[in-house]
Amino acid sequence: MSQEAYITGGLRTAVGKAGKGVFKGTRPDDLAIEVIQQLIKNTPGLDPSMVDDVIVGCANPEGEQGLQIGRLIAVRALGKDVPGMTVNRYCASGLETISIAVAKIRAGMGECYIAGGIESMSQIPMTGYKLAPNYNIAANTPDYLVGMGLTAEAVAKKYGITREASDAFSLRSHQLAAAAIDGGRFKAEIVPFTVKEVWVENDKRREREFVVDTDEGVRRDTSLEGLSKLRPVFAQGGIVTAGNSSQTSDAAAFVLVMSENFMKNLGLTPIARLAACSVAGVEPLYMGIGPVKAIPKALKQAGLTLNDIQQIELNEAFAAQSLAVVQELGINPDILNVNGGAIALGHPLGCSGTKLSIQLLNEMRRRDQRYGMVTACVGGGQGIAGIFERLN
Amino acid sequence: MLKRIHKVAVLGSGLMGTGIAAHLAGCGLEVLMLDILPPDLSEADAKKPAARNRIGNNALQTALKAKPAPFFDNNFASRITVGNFEDDLSKIADADWIVEVVVERLDVKKQVFEKIDKLRRKGTLVTSNTSGIPIHLMAEGRSEDFRAHFCGTHFFNPARYMRLLEIIPTADTSAEVVDFFMHFGDKILGKQTVLCKDTPAFIANRVGVYAMAKIFQLTHELGLGIDTVDALTGPAIGRPKTGTFRLADLVGMDTAVHVINGMRENCPNDEQIGAFDVPKYLKFLIDNKFYGNKSGKGFYQKTAEKDAKGRPVVLALNLETLEYGVSQKEKLPVLDTLKQIDELPQRIRAVFKSTDKGAELLQRSFLGLFAYVSNRVPEISDTPYAIDDALRAGFAWDAGPFEYWDMAGVQACTEAAEARGETIAPWVKEMVASGHTTFYRSQNGVRQYYDPRTKTYQNLPGGADFIVLNAYREQKPVYENSEVVLHDIGDGVLCLEFRSKMNAIGEGILRGINDSIQIAEEQGWKGLVIGNNAQHFTVGANLMMIAMMAYQQEWDELNQAISIFQNTSMRLRYSSVPVVMATQGYVFGGGCEFSMHADAVMAAAESYIGLVEVGVGLIPGGGGTKEFAVRLSDEISREGDVQIPRLIDRFKTIATAQVATSAHEAFNFGYLKHEKDHVVPNTARNIAEAKSKVLELADGYVQPIQRKDVYVLGRTGLGALYIAAHTLQLGNYASEHDIKIAKKVAYVLCGGDLTSGQTVSEQYLLDIEREAFLSLCGEQKTLERIQFMLENGKPLRN
Repeated sequence: MSQEAYITGGLRTAVGKAGKGVFKGTRPDDLAIEVIQQLIKNTPGLDPSMVDDVIVGCANPEGEQGLQIGRLIAVRALGKDVPGMTVNRYCASGLETISIAVAKIRAGMGECYIAGGIESMSQIPMTGYKLAPNYNIAANTPDYLVGMGLTAEAVAKKYGITREASDAFSLRSHQLAAAAIDGGRFKAEIVPFTVKEVWVENDKRREREFVVDTDEGVRRDTSLEGLSKLRPVFAQGGIVTAGNSSQTSDAAAFVLVMSENFMKNLGLTPIARLAACSVAGVEPLYMGIGPVKAIPKALKQAGLTLNDIQQIELNEAFAAQSLAVVQELGINPDILNVNGGAIALGHPLGCSGTKLSIQLLNEMRRRDQRYGMVTACVGGGQGIAGIFERLN
Repeated sequence: MLKRIHKVAVLGSGLMGTGIAAHLAGCGLEVLMLDILPPDLSEADAKKPAARNRIGNNALQTALKAKPAPFFDNNFASRITVGNFEDDLSKIADADWIVEVVVERLDVKKQVFEKIDKLRRKGTLVTSNTSGIPIHLMAEGRSEDFRAHFCGTHFFNPARYMRLLEIIPTADTSAEVVDFFMHFGDKILGKQTVLCKDTPAFIANRVGVYAMAKIFQLTHELGLGIDTVDALTGPAIGRPKTGTFRLADLVGMDTAVHVINGMRENCPNDEQIGAFDVPKYLKFLIDNKFYGNKSGKGFYQKTAEKDAKGRPVVLALNLETLEYGVSQKEKLPVLDTLKQIDELPQRIRAVFKSTDKGAELLQRSFLGLFAYVSNRVPEISDTPYAIDDALRAGFAWDAGPFEYWDMAGVQACTEAAEARGETIAPWVKEMVASGHTTFYRSQNGVRQYYDPRTKTYQNLPGGADFIVLNAYREQKPVYENSEVVLHDIGDGVLCLEFRSKMNAIGEGILRGINDSIQIAEEQGWKGLVIGNNAQHFTVGANLMMIAMMAYQQEWDELNQAISIFQNTSMRLRYSSVPVVMATQGYVFGGGCEFSMHADAVMAAAESYIGLVEVGVGLIPGGGGTKEFAVRLSDEISREGDVQIPRLIDRFKTIATAQVATSAHEAFNFGYLKHEKDHVVPNTARNIAEAKSKVLELADGYVQPIQRKDVYVLGRTGLGALYIAAHTLQLGNYASEHDIKIAKKVAYVLCGGDLTSGQTVSEQYLLDIEREAFLSLCGEQKTLERIQFMLENGKPLRN
């Protein structure tokens, strides 16, 4: 009765910079539909109506991302018969949706899922439109609601992470990301998206169309000197700057997850399976340290040790937080974020978990590796870690 | 001629050009600013408009970051379009006024004007901002229409802050154009306009530089130290803190010497030409390129060393040895004497009664100055008052030369000057001989000047437009107490003037406001203006009063005092006559609270408004926090979702004691409201404008009804503000005590910890505001802040 779940495909859009980037005027559901329809096209024999559910991760599901966007994406991408839901575990949302799909299949509740995540940080402000924290929290435990930048400062202070190390880590992220883009390493996973823009210039209505197929966050002129000149943005005398924090971004990413029987009936071969996925809670003020608690939990679940993991995608929310995790777990930096991370490539909150999973699986194939991990810290004081076993 | 200026072309984007463009934009004009193509333009760049406009664009970006800010509000930069002479000069055909601010070379300027002559529409005004080139030379060869519409408009740097605008017509400039600029420059651009003749350096620099050069010489002759002379020639005699030598360092020695040499060359007939001899110590500075602040060294040198208070040690040049040494101000009796006298006229008289070396320097510099200006009439101006206006506005003197002379005594000083061998012009002696003993006098509240042409007193022009309260001193006040005077300023309007130290609000002002409103109501006055001619409208509540009661824990008395403060604010709004405030300079704390409650504020553009109470450990307790809650309630939509961001914005305004750097900016902070308040470009006009506003409102004025419909958010808002406060603290932007105060602000703004949003009355909000204020008065750290402010004049962060 219980079947294993397999990932048989995964695609994403390029990642745009929030605010003035390529997707600033593009709705996140429009990005999602393009990706999902391409996934279906790439899967011979899969009729859209066979999809049991579309599970969409999103960290700020309101405004342009509101109105239960999961269903709106499903009905437009796959037709009225396919349901959809929206899942929010902040920055872990995109990995959480994969784990829900896997769990449902393993539990025998369904056969075929599209799981992923979206985020338009251009269109929805970081804390949403109405910030209305509970008075009791605000009065008694305000640390539960501290802004992310200040949690990074707190982690840096507690774990002794310096400004210099943070800036060096950021430079590395940009350099590796630039090399990955130049080497065409993301080409296959990105669905080119045609942006249609309408604007007014010199009192005239103007239109243009252009195709986006490359991540736009990398700064090729980044230098240690340039990074060291930036001012701390969250705290006076702090170490966290715009240069050693992740970029705000717009993107969508989705994977196709199916049961063994379903896959075999379609004559498909698996890419990977999710061997384990764990979440854990930590002190909200030290949100960034979340992976330190989530990773051992996931390893135990998979029956593996850190030494078995050949590659890690650790979401670079902040350099300070990433370095603290590396330091506390003794992670080998050589296997970490080998194609750069969110500091260079961007962090489209709800989408990042899926995006990193796709990126990891493609790089594992290139390197012929068996076990890889995606991990992230999560707002509110959590961590997530997912371990993939490659099968292709 | 009714001319309307809407579009202006500013040619040149140097420091001065950009400063003028920024100021004009701030005054509501649409500006086209042009400069040359970058000389090093690459072939690829030559096609890109952004690269071609690089010089102007860069200048604008620099201006947006400059301090003090050239713009009243950086949003006004969108009123400026940048271009270049090659591509955009033809656009000047759309301009109503073209201001030339290119390099100070006659040949270059003439080329520019030749092009303008071909492109401009007939009737377009054209002016030059030159500070030294004769205006008529620039107009040579131009068309008749050009010449009729051409004159000099000389702004001073920085254009926004320096009040003087010299208008210099040529013989060909039409009288209408001159009249237009005199009025437009004053009313729209907010400047003190002064009509000049086309004489070397016009008025302000001619006299100001003479005065500086004379003091240079006397310093050397009397063997005084430069820091002693700066102390003598600064605020002690109603002049800026820079005094004489610091001013030279600020201006730059190369510029100062250039101007002095220019005078020597261009004014060979000046009877005091010897004053323009450059002393040897100036030559020393020039030879060594010690130009002043811009080269790090001039008369003074700032060192890396710090003194006991942590301020950098400044060395002063010894004029004899030409070496820098630790500044040693001499203890002159005259300085002590001057320090103890509040009023300027008494201080000037004291100068002439003192006998030490310092007094001698001041006496001789004044006598030289009196003689010099007497001989400049009619050469540089037909009237003495224009010279006074120019020096007050251009050099920030509290009084002009002739006003100083009136203070010191015209006849006595004439005799003293002549005894020293100075030449006093005959018209002055004639004036004195005919029994006219002063250059100015007041007649029935109208200030008059002596006109040497008619040998009679004439009303100062624009008297009704500039209500100068000094003119009412001889009239019996309608009411007065130790801190206020209530004047009848005509047409049934009263003006309440503050006169406490720094116009701090104490018991007298509170009582004065209540009494004045009562007088206006009961005696049938049309309304009340609250305004004064001081540099600063008010620094806020008299802290000493609060400190005394707080230290002695007289809670009932304190509660009573705060109630009076709140009730006074409420009285400003809820009375049967209109009350209009006229503000300028600092409008802090209680001053801001009063103005938020008045029917209207006529705020000089240079009004610096802010609720600064947090700096002394308190919250605005005179109705200010309540009023922020009222305004929020009116601003936010009850169903929409923009409540919280605006709430956080307004909260931070009070919790971080933000002061608006102009009246325009005060609207952004919510201190002023577009529906009722207005910006007056010219500070000197604000009381007159307030009077007009009273008259406008008085017709059909109905007393407003106290509000019972103020919507407050309760815990929903409070949660957001507590988190915002916590964030400030974690980010090291606020101390624990700051947070305690911030939470009190939050509490009042949200109407307390109500579990749902609801409507409340103003009185309820006043009650919780007062309670919050009183609770902070019981905090040790608040008392420390108050004490520190009283002792040091700046806030303590604890």
